[in-house]
Amino acid sequence: MSAILNIKVKILSGKEVVPNIYLMRLKAPEITQDALSGQFIHIKCSKDNYPLLRRPFSIHRIDKEKGEIFILFQVVGEGTKLLAQRVVGDDLDIMGPIGNGFNIYPESRKIMIVGGGIGVAPLLALCEESIRQGKEVRVLISALKKELVIGEESFRNLGAKVDVATDDGSYQHKGLVTDLLEGSIREGWLANQIFACGPKSMLKKIVEISLDAHIDCQVSLEERMACGIGACLGCVCKIKTKDKKEDKVKYEFKKVCEDGPIFGGSEVVWDD
Amino acid sequence: MIDKTCLKVEIAGIKLKNPVMTASGTFGYGQEYVPFVDLNRLGAMILKGITLKPKMGNPPPRIIETPSGMLNAIGLQNVGVEMLIREKLPYLQKFNTPVIINISGDTIEEYVELAERLGEVSKEMGVTGLEVNISCPNVKKRGMVWGTDAKATYEIINSIRKTTSLPLIVKLTPNVTNIKTIAQAAEEAGADALSLINTLVGMTVDIDSRKPKLANISGGLSGPAVKPVALWLVWQVFQTVNIPVIGIGGIIKVEDALEFIIAGARAIEIGTANFVNPRVTIEIIEGIEKYLIENNIKDINELVGSMKI
Ligand SMILES: Cc1cc2nc3c(=O)[nH]c(=O)nc-3n(C[C@H](O)[C@H](O)[C@H](O)COP(=O)(O)OP(=O)(O)OC[C@H]3O[C@@H](n4cnc5c(N)ncnc54)[C@H](O)[C@@H]3O)c2cc1C
Ligand SMILES: Cc1cc2nc3c(=O)[nH]c(=O)nc-3n(C[C@H](O)[C@H](O)[C@H](O)COP(=O)(O)O)c2cc1C
Ligand code: FES
Repeated sequence: MSAILNIKVKILSGKEVVPNIYLMRLKAPEITQDALSGQFIHIKCSKDNYPLLRRPFSIHRIDKEKGEIFILFQVVGEGTKLLAQRVVGDDLDIMGPIGNGFNIYPESRKIMIVGGGIGVAPLLALCEESIRQGKEVRVLISALKKELVIGEESFRNLGAKVDVATDDGSYQHKGLVTDLLEGSIREGWLANQIFACGPKSMLKKIVEISLDAHIDCQVSLEERMACGIGACLGCVCKIKTKDKKEDKVKYEFKKVCEDGPIFGGSEVVWDD
Repeated sequence: MIDKTCLKVEIAGIKLKNPVMTASGTFGYGQEYVPFVDLNRLGAMILKGITLKPKMGNPPPRIIETPSGMLNAIGLQNVGVEMLIREKLPYLQKFNTPVIINISGDTIEEYVELAERLGEVSKEMGVTGLEVNISCPNVKKRGMVWGTDAKATYEIINSIRKTTSLPLIVKLTPNVTNIKTIAQAAEEAGADALSLINTLVGMTVDIDSRKPKLANISGGLSGPAVKPVALWLVWQVFQTVNIPVIGIGGIIKVEDALEFIIAGARAIEIGTANFVNPRVTIEIIEGIEKYLIENNIKDINELVGSMKI
């Protein structure tokens, strides 16, 4: 893994792609050199110290040629609100690239990518990398309603087959993205690997489906962060420990920022 | 105007290049900050609190941002003293900055055993001193926090003092009615220096779920929000004891550090600010030097406790 940098990068563009969700392009050649899909950057959203802590955002796209990275984010609170207000030409204080990134196995031929809501953020870079490696890629995305579907065109332009589920049925499949996943497996499209990011309930279900179908599954987890570099132990999640002698599931706390944010789906202990 | 100034201070017999140290739990085991900070430039490094046995810590969410601060309920997750000695300390050998180990325990016996063990390896592993965290609950006394009671503070520090010749810094909790009596008890029991403050106990509630936002319900408040409280307590303790005082709490820029020094702190520790700006320790060292030169102060020790009233 490459060293984590703390640098100031220029905001090249920013726009609201669907209501309340913003796409921001940053000039960061130092980061693009070594960045992997699934990694994130830790951003100081404001110019002063309010809000105090940095906020983590996945790297949405990596353009190595131009030395640019993209982030895609949803406004949910103070930090994201201020980030959305930052203007083109501003310097943004970031730390990154951070985390382990997705692990695409060389022998995998077919890749299934599943994103729920803003969970699609890290998946575009993953899709691009998978296709660059010659994999066959299918993408399933979900949103509350038609206006909130993000990235459909971008995934398709990369050469992936894309299906969409909306909660209210205003676009394509009405229901859950996991229905689509089960459907594709039933139809016999068996991926070698499934990658997913989104709400915990969705991830939990995807892991169950992947275990039933004996498909390797990696998920991107989120937890509240302070340092972002493994120093504060604030961002932990429950991960099963190797020792399987006893029946009871044993777990330990692993850091999402340093040990993740990507974890093997079957390793995660899902709390209700 | 002078062109050079002296930043050296001495705390508990430990000679520091400058008064800036890292607060326990906010700087990992040092190594995490190597991409951002030349560890050789720090006054001292205080590592993540250690216990005798590894500790798993509390379930998440463990941190929540609050106005100008944060609450944390890490629950002292740490690798345990043996792993610290085997895997974390060797790496720090190549730096010439004093390493101070922050110790915690559930019982007196645990603190004593920790101090003994760290004393044994201190030469070989470069352990320069101990910072005793007395903000932990005493398991045998129904969870009463050591540092909230003068007698308990005396008892625990005295026991540790008898087992080790390592410099002892006692880290005080602000969650007390009278900090002066606790500070005196620690001094009488043989502390070489006092550091304060540890975090203030607090809580936040999610109004939608009506659940506490931290899984642990309560957490420790840190960051700029606690600075005025910390300054007041440092000033009171400074007036009460004859041993050096280390100021901690909400320091994020050089002016904050200077406030503590003027109020009586011979050194300072930087905590939460490391999360915001990983280079903050170095920036504050440079800022203190600049202030001293601009104000014609030849030696930082002249500034310590120089508050005019
Ligand atoms: C590794 C990682 C990658 C992420 N990538 C993206 C991304 O690409 N795009 C995106 O929009 N968001 C992403 N997030 C979530 C994002 O960090 C939070 O939405 C953001 O920190 C909220 O900040 P705020 O100040 O606006 O909201 P706050 O006022 O801090 O919180 C508002 C609400 O947001 C939720 N929240 C806050 N912090 C987090 C967090 N760290 N993780 C999950 N939920 C949180 C809580 O439910 C809270 O009630 C990522 C989180 C992690 C851990
Ligand atoms: C995430 C976190 C972990 C901490 N862990 C410890 C610890 O292990 N031992 C200890 O004595 N203090 C610990 N503290 C307290 C700090 O060392 C410091 O006393 C406190 O945060 C106030 O300083 P600040 O406002 O600069 O952060 C921790 C604080 C934070 C924020
Ligand atoms: S955010 Fe500090 S350890 Fe992960």
